[in-house]
Amino acid sequence: MQSAHNLPGFGGGRAQDRPRIGVVGADLPRQIVLAADAVPVRLFGSWSGAVSLRASELLGAVDAVAGRILDAILAGDHDDLAGLVICNDSQANLRMFYVLRVLAERGEVPFPVQLLDAPRGPGTAKRAFVVAQYARLVEFCRAVTGAEVGFDDLRRAGDAEQSVVVALERLRERRVQSRCTGVSALNAYRTAACSAPEVAVAAIDDAQVSTGEGDRIFVTGSAHPDSRVYQVLESTGATIVAEDHDTGDGGWFAACTTGDSAADILAGLASLHADRPPSAARGTTAERVTALRRKVIETRGAAVMALVRDLDDAPAWELAAVREALDTLRVPFVSRTRITAEEASSASSDVVNALAVREGAYG
Amino acid sequence: MSENRLDTAAIATRYQKAWFAETAQRARDGQPIALVNADAPHEVLRAMGIPYVVNQWWASIISAKRLGPASLERLVALGLPDFSQQYDAIPLGAQDLPVEQRAWGGLPEPAFAIAERSGDVTQKIFELWGEREGTETFLLSRTGADPVPSAWWEKVPHDWEDAFGADRLDLLQAEIEELVTWLSERTGRTLDRDRLAQIMDLGNQQVEWNRRTRDLIATARPTPVLVNDTMPAVMVPQWHRGTQWAVDTARALHDEVAHRIDEGVAVCADERRRLMWVGRGLWSDLDMYRRFHEEFGAVFVWSMYLAIAADGYPRYGDDPVRALAARFVGFTDQLYVPPWSAQWYVKEALAHGVDGVVHLVADDTPGAGFISEALEAEGIPVLEIRANNADSRSSGSARIPERIEEFLRERVPARA
Repeated sequence: MQSAHNLPGFGGGRAQDRPRIGVVGADLPRQIVLAADAVPVRLFGSWSGAVSLRASELLGAVDAVAGRILDAILAGDHDDLAGLVICNDSQANLRMFYVLRVLAERGEVPFPVQLLDAPRGPGTAKRAFVVAQYARLVEFCRAVTGAEVGFDDLRRAGDAEQSVVVALERLRERRVQSRCTGVSALNAYRTAACSAPEVAVAAIDDAQVSTGEGDRIFVTGSAHPDSRVYQVLESTGATIVAEDHDTGDGGWFAACTTGDSAADILAGLASLHADRPPSAARGTTAERVTALRRKVIETRGAAVMALVRDLDDAPAWELAAVREALDTLRVPFVSRTRITAEEASSASSDVVNALAVREGAYG
Repeated sequence: MSENRLDTAAIATRYQKAWFAETAQRARDGQPIALVNADAPHEVLRAMGIPYVVNQWWASIISAKRLGPASLERLVALGLPDFSQQYDAIPLGAQDLPVEQRAWGGLPEPAFAIAERSGDVTQKIFELWGEREGTETFLLSRTGADPVPSAWWEKVPHDWEDAFGADRLDLLQAEIEELVTWLSERTGRTLDRDRLAQIMDLGNQQVEWNRRTRDLIATARPTPVLVNDTMPAVMVPQWHRGTQWAVDTARALHDEVAHRIDEGVAVCADERRRLMWVGRGLWSDLDMYRRFHEEFGAVFVWSMYLAIAADGYPRYGDDPVRALAARFVGFTDQLYVPPWSAQWYVKEALAHGVDGVVHLVADDTPGAGFISEALEAEGIPVLEIRANNADSRSSGSARIPERIEEFLRERVPARA
């Protein structure tokens, strides 16, 4: 294991002294922010807690997690940020960008807000658009940090982030080997996505909690912004071995690449983005089910669960196809839709009760 | 009040019925038709001779026939949600209703389903169309509204590069070219770019008539037409955009409105309150728009359909494919993205001299609060109602007429 203090350096000061750039959503390649000698800090929100009337009215009917993030921003919880990048990776996040753009112009939030609009998938035109978006992101980071972002900066940031990629691979392997619970993995992802690479690697490698012989569960459906539901599930003895949502294994934040120029690196990142696993909100159901099926087999998931939050509708449209695909694998599947904050725990318990894991699912 | 109905609306509705019957027959005879979302670049299909049915229009027909709930139940039977993006989803469910229950005899299976990836769900609905026998799906990217310079309605006709940004236009233009290739491979037809340029020109002529009509209604006192009449009178030709018939019908609407103004026609004889309807049409209860004439002297003088037809579509340029990309790259943004949306509704409210606004907030419209806030800042009271326009279950539980009555009594004083 590589220790944190041996990581390649990528910037000047200590992590705690660097500017912090907030991130809403899962499309940001941190390499760009790190190259500006800033620390990317993903804002996750949570399963529980009220959403204020103001946030609800500003965002309209969207996943409550977005409402909670907006509430935290409006309450000043993130006023230390130098800037905020919002990804167009879901309707809720795009709406948050539109709202915060207006509020930032009015001076109601103390930092500038930038959209990162990165349609996923193949195609030369799409790739060129994403590269242009990354170039805008470079300019944004330069503007908020004052740091130049050249080839050497991108290369050094990529080297540092590569250590996170490797640590994440170790984490995923430990989960498959029952050496890391879903709760500890999810918490590690949360910490890593809010930290400089050296801190991220340490947090990821700290996630080592032996699991029992309980049911091996794969999680799809809504992303889990915190480990609340995972705790309920794993308290029964089950283990969540993997997931496809973007706050867990489906996350992409540590993507990094090399090249002979800054333009090469941005193009390389766009290529990685094009080929990454699909998200519920932006991928097709066919892409999602294909990816899920492969991951369930790879991780030896014995059952699959999906909790879909109220107003996070994209996963709900996938459930019929997921069920059909898992039937062919003889893997049990339990889902609940339109889950509210109040229902999160009881819905998780329901899922536990409903899961009747059959032995020899792949026999 | 039947004497107040627009001849143009009746003519357009009859035309649409006949057109649909003919198109459906052609499809049943084996010719390919397309099902398209409202924000997709229809003009390409017209130029290639592929008839198309607009998903939202078809949803409105199904809904008006009170078949929305049954259509949504079919989705549930397939394990799909009935609580999500109903306006886009209802036609999918309706497709599996028994033949005798289908609106206008039903939509023949389309060969092509074409949509942009707006929101989180539309692409999944259209993907499901592509899993049906005989239908293939093509999805276009939908980029976010960035940048958003002020007063979009002044920029989009000619300065669309500035309004939307070259990057967004480059992407959609390239994807329209991909769509053309995709359609060519499947139909053997090629795109005649001169023909497309003519279609764009006809579309712009249609817009110009719609602008004149909108401006006439804005200044007319009392209001000479019902909004639920202008909806079909504008939207039916909108789905035939790029044809001479559509231009002629837009002109006929203008001439009929002008004549009514000259004759002093009033749809509400004792007009004391002028109302604006912000949001999609309440297809399941179109009579609702007239319900407040007698008791309150309250008349809806504005809906987005004529206004967006006037401001949203014009695109002048030498390259018809790029101009087409500019027509659709930010179409929804114009209506729904703040600050664009708020600026535009305020402009329209002031131009029409409204006394109150009923704002139907759908589940997929962002920044609704900014619209209401901007209108209120101009001294115009706003009633926000959260409901789905096409799902009568949702609009019923929202108590729309009752709440409008309360709104009129409590917040919208009658003019002297």
